[in-house]
Amino acid sequence: MVFTSFNFLIFFPLLVAVYYIAPIKSRWLVLLLFSYFFYINIKPVFSLLLGGVTLSTYVFTRLIDNTTNESGKKAYLIINIILILLPLFFFKYFGQINNSIISLLESVHLRWPLPEIKLILPIGISFYTFMAIGYTIDVYREEIEAEKNLGIVALFISFFPLILSGPIERAKNMLPQFNLLKKLDYEMVVQGLKWMLWGYFMKLVVADRIGIYVEAIYDNLQFHNGTSILFASILYPFQVYSDLGGYSLLAIGTAKVLGINVIQNFNRPFFSTTMSEFWRRWHISLISWLTDYVYTPLSFTFRKYGVWGIVIALLITFMISGIWHGAALTFVVWGFMQGIFLSIEALLKNRRTVFEKKYNLNNKIFYISFGILLTFILFASSQIFGRANNLNDAFLVYRKIFTTSGPLFIGNPSVFIFSLLSLSLLLAKDFTDEFIPGFLLFDSKNKIIRVIAYSSIIILILLIGVFDGGQFIYFKF
Amino acid sequence: MERTELVTKLTAVFRKVFNNDSLVLTDELTANDVDNWDSLSHMLLITEIENTFSIKFKLKDLNKMRKVGDMIDIIMSKF
Repeated sequence: MVFTSFNFLIFFPLLVAVYYIAPIKSRWLVLLLFSYFFYINIKPVFSLLLGGVTLSTYVFTRLIDNTTNESGKKAYLIINIILILLPLFFFKYFGQINNSIISLLESVHLRWPLPEIKLILPIGISFYTFMAIGYTIDVYREEIEAEKNLGIVALFISFFPLILSGPIERAKNMLPQFNLLKKLDYEMVVQGLKWMLWGYFMKLVVADRIGIYVEAIYDNLQFHNGTSILFASILYPFQVYSDLGGYSLLAIGTAKVLGINVIQNFNRPFFSTTMSEFWRRWHISLISWLTDYVYTPLSFTFRKYGVWGIVIALLITFMISGIWHGAALTFVVWGFMQGIFLSIEALLKNRRTVFEKKYNLNNKIFYISFGILLTFILFASSQIFGRANNLNDAFLVYRKIFTTSGPLFIGNPSVFIFSLLSLSLLLAKDFTDEFIPGFLLFDSKNKIIRVIAYSSIIILILLIGVFDGGQFIYFKF
Repeated sequence: MERTELVTKLTAVFRKVFNNDSLVLTDELTANDVDNWDSLSHMLLITEIENTFSIKFKLKDLNKMRKVGDMIDIIMSKF
């Protein structure tokens, strides 16, 4: 079941009713049962894997807590991480490694019919595995005590709003909330519903409309000129933002309706003036996870190399992020590019601060605009590798952008116009939230303005939303 | 080392790493209050503190540093 499916429109109100009717002490159980029901609906057998990861994490976190000697704790930590990473590796990389061996053999002219492996990736596995690993490390670092109630651990790992695509939450934030669920709070329910509505708008109207155009170009690169390919490449970052950002808002809003606060996943990323700021505002939960559990230990290990230690740690962290997105060379290049951008920024940082202070640039509109534009261009150029079907396609995109031109492909004019219109609306809202915080439509004090704003969004979703649209992009990760 | 002496030395380290001569340290100061104090410059700061005070941190120490006050307590505990 996904948020945009018809079933969810029955599932969610039913859950909310049962949840708030149930006595407060048993509400965690309601959430747990509904969460497993939600997940089982995708593919029943995958819930066994989810149960296995939960059980292993529960047992080993308790063992870490009850062991006094340091090496014992460390052993339990490592065993659990390996155990829960195994299924992720198996499902995500096994087929790819198999194909790589085949093509390696073929490249030295050893060719015979070898079977291909096609595994279906258990949806959400990357996300709940990361949450389970984070929890285990937090218990090991004594930042949190191991939860004694297996049901609460199971709920943390399977919590339905987050299980398919995050935000990748932390036990520190979630376990105390599950242990002390709140009474019905009208304000929270309303806020949650508002976020859900905006999430639906971002996904159904913006992401899926833009997606149709981007797909038309990227899946038929040979038939399109550089102008159209450039345009699709500019649109793609916005598609990912409204897809994963919309999904995240749906997740956060759903949890909020149930009285549970979940961390923000996007913070108007396209108004960042540097790449490092961008990565603090884009897919925040993944980056903060990687910072705490990968980058910090790595940069700590390499700290004697000074700035270069940071560069090495950054490169490795983003390569891991790339490989997490997919076991393809395109994602390795994607991760490498992020690492390079951030490293260059880190190396130039002091000089830039001096320069900015000398000419007092930080308040100048042209300087801020330049930073925003440059950051977008860098990110969009890396996203070409995130979107292209393979490395050859990615290089073809670059080659065509720089060597060919011609009229812009419009395709279906209504799809094209609605894509741009809905994207403008999204960006206009982000722009006012960022630069004119007093300009409120959705949170206006005037009830009439509020009602008109929300009604318009509902009408837009119904009129131009893509209801037969595809999956969320991040379901495949 | 006295706490006040430590804070004076630590202030000099902060001012050097963050290129800001007017930076004043308080116990409640966090990374959010200081320009350019992010996860990248944090490790440079850590290395500079280790060299200045001739101490070695553990990874676990780093996770406990939520504000400057925690940092000072951890450095004090190393003498």
